[in-house]
Amino acid sequence: MDKAIQIKGTREGLTITLGASSMPDVLQDLGHQLRTQGAFFRGGAVALQATTRALTRDEIVAVRDLLADYDMTLRTIVTSNDVTRQAATQLDIKVVDAEPQRAVARAAPPREGREPTGPSTGDGMRGMLVKRVVRSGQTVRHAGHVVVIGDVNVGGEILAGGDIVVWGRLRGLAHAGCYGDEKALVCALELAPQQLRIAQHVARPAEGGRRAGDEPEVARVADGAIVVEPWDQARRQGAPR
Amino acid sequence: MSARIITITSGKGGVGKTTTVANLGVALSRMGQRVVVIDSDIGLRNLDMILGLQNRIIYDIVDLVEGRCRARQALIRDRVVPELYLLPAAQSRDKTAVSPADMVRICEQLRNECDFILVDSPAGIELGFRNAIAPSDEFILVTTPEYAALQDVDRVLGILESEGRDQTRLIINRMRPELSRRGDSLTVDQVLDVLGLDLLGIVPESEDVIAANVRGVPIAHAAETLAGQAYQNIARRLLGEQVAFIPLLKGRPKWWQRLGLGRRSAGNDGA
Ligand SMILES: Nc1ncnc2c1ncn2[C@@H]1O[C@H](COP(=O)(O)OP(=O)(O)OP(=O)(O)O)[C@@H](O)[C@H]1O
Ligand SMILES: [Mg+2]
Repeated sequence: MDKAIQIKGTREGLTITLGASSMPDVLQDLGHQLRTQGAFFRGGAVALQATTRALTRDEIVAVRDLLADYDMTLRTIVTSNDVTRQAATQLDIKVVDAEPQRAVARAAPPREGREPTGPSTGDGMRGMLVKRVVRSGQTVRHAGHVVVIGDVNVGGEILAGGDIVVWGRLRGLAHAGCYGDEKALVCALELAPQQLRIAQHVARPAEGGRRAGDEPEVARVADGAIVVEPWDQARRQGAPR
Repeated sequence: MSARIITITSGKGGVGKTTTVANLGVALSRMGQRVVVIDSDIGLRNLDMILGLQNRIIYDIVDLVEGRCRARQALIRDRVVPELYLLPAAQSRDKTAVSPADMVRICEQLRNECDFILVDSPAGIELGFRNAIAPSDEFILVTTPEYAALQDVDRVLGILESEGRDQTRLIINRMRPELSRRGDSLTVDQVLDVLGLDLLGIVPESEDVIAANVRGVPIAHAAETLAGQAYQNIARRLLGEQVAFIPLLKGRPKWWQRLGLGRRSAGNDGA
């Protein structure tokens, strides 16, 4: 099926770009992508890239409500269309003028304190350093790489657009490459997660919980599945990236 | 003179918060401290029963908040120890009758007239919990040696830490050393390993505690029982004394017990 929309993670949040499909198709495709990948995006701020399309108030409300079902907030609409601009303004949604040729969407910045920190890495992604225990009920969400110095406890979550490195025990949930990057890695001194996800792949420990190896381990995607190896084995085979 | 305000909380229900508040209140006041215990579990009040004061309630915390009485009138003096007072919860209202700001105000009023204010938090992390933690600078988290309780304490700890409230210590209640030795419940080390908290004390599972609660005379009055001694030790640690963890299992004390070390180096069976 040709996609009526495109969802992309950016440094600032998520951007949803509308193609030329009819609104029902857009909503159906959005609903489908949210259902299948909603957990990746949960809680984020969204910029809707509508460029020249004319959207009515009801159409925007439909998109907003659908996003809200997945805990996402429609923050911004990028448009060069007056009808859309007016409708968005009525709904108190921020309007950003689309530059017709270079359509760069900026979603609203991520919520409190999630501003990217740390130096930019060679691949253009920023890293975020979390220097504390990530406890049950806490989520760390970042579009780039995430480094935790401390444990990630059961019930804690790390969602990263890039790699996840835990200098400690990983016992909660980790999702690396959460916008689809299959090359993303998860490394931990003690890798014993409740669940591990890389891009769209999911790995769960065997019932009774995975016993972590007694050395640091690396998880990555190989031949369409998540594999876990001791750190020095992965290193001997050449840098995994 | 300004009292230390300590909230006892856990996330999970039924792990022994109210029992802890009653017993620490008793133990501290037996050591000469002036203590006010506050039941913030509005609609489900219990602390009065464990202290055996349920028949003496005239005014409660909601009466105080709504201005029907003064703080002194609402405080009920303990039957046994002289300087222990209870501010009871209301039974016929719900949590919305009191706000976090009300709790802060009440504790500020009482603060200059006692040495400790112990706040008994309800289970959960909603308004009742918010009320209970609002006035406090220190927190005692209570868990039992099982994963569900541990995870809830971890959740509460995350909330407190994210608000910069880092004076937190742990009590492990209902410890059964023979079970954890067999691997059928968590050991002290496993609990501390997850939470990374300072250990304030370990209270054994004991029928004495249940019986004392039913009688309305907290076990902390009975120093000859293991649980009573555990609570007295916790009270002493709260006052800054170094107190060795007493062995819960018979046998030779471990090296850390002989050295009188507490906290993180505690093995899996000391109180
Ligand atoms: N060390 C112990 N040994 C045996 N029984 C205990 C012990 N501590 C508490 N109990 C019992 O466990 C039950 C629950 O205790 P308590 O009411 O203090 O828990 P709570 O955390 O305040 O509960 P709630 O969340 O409902 O307020 C009571 O029946 C009490 O007598
Ligand atoms: Mg209680």
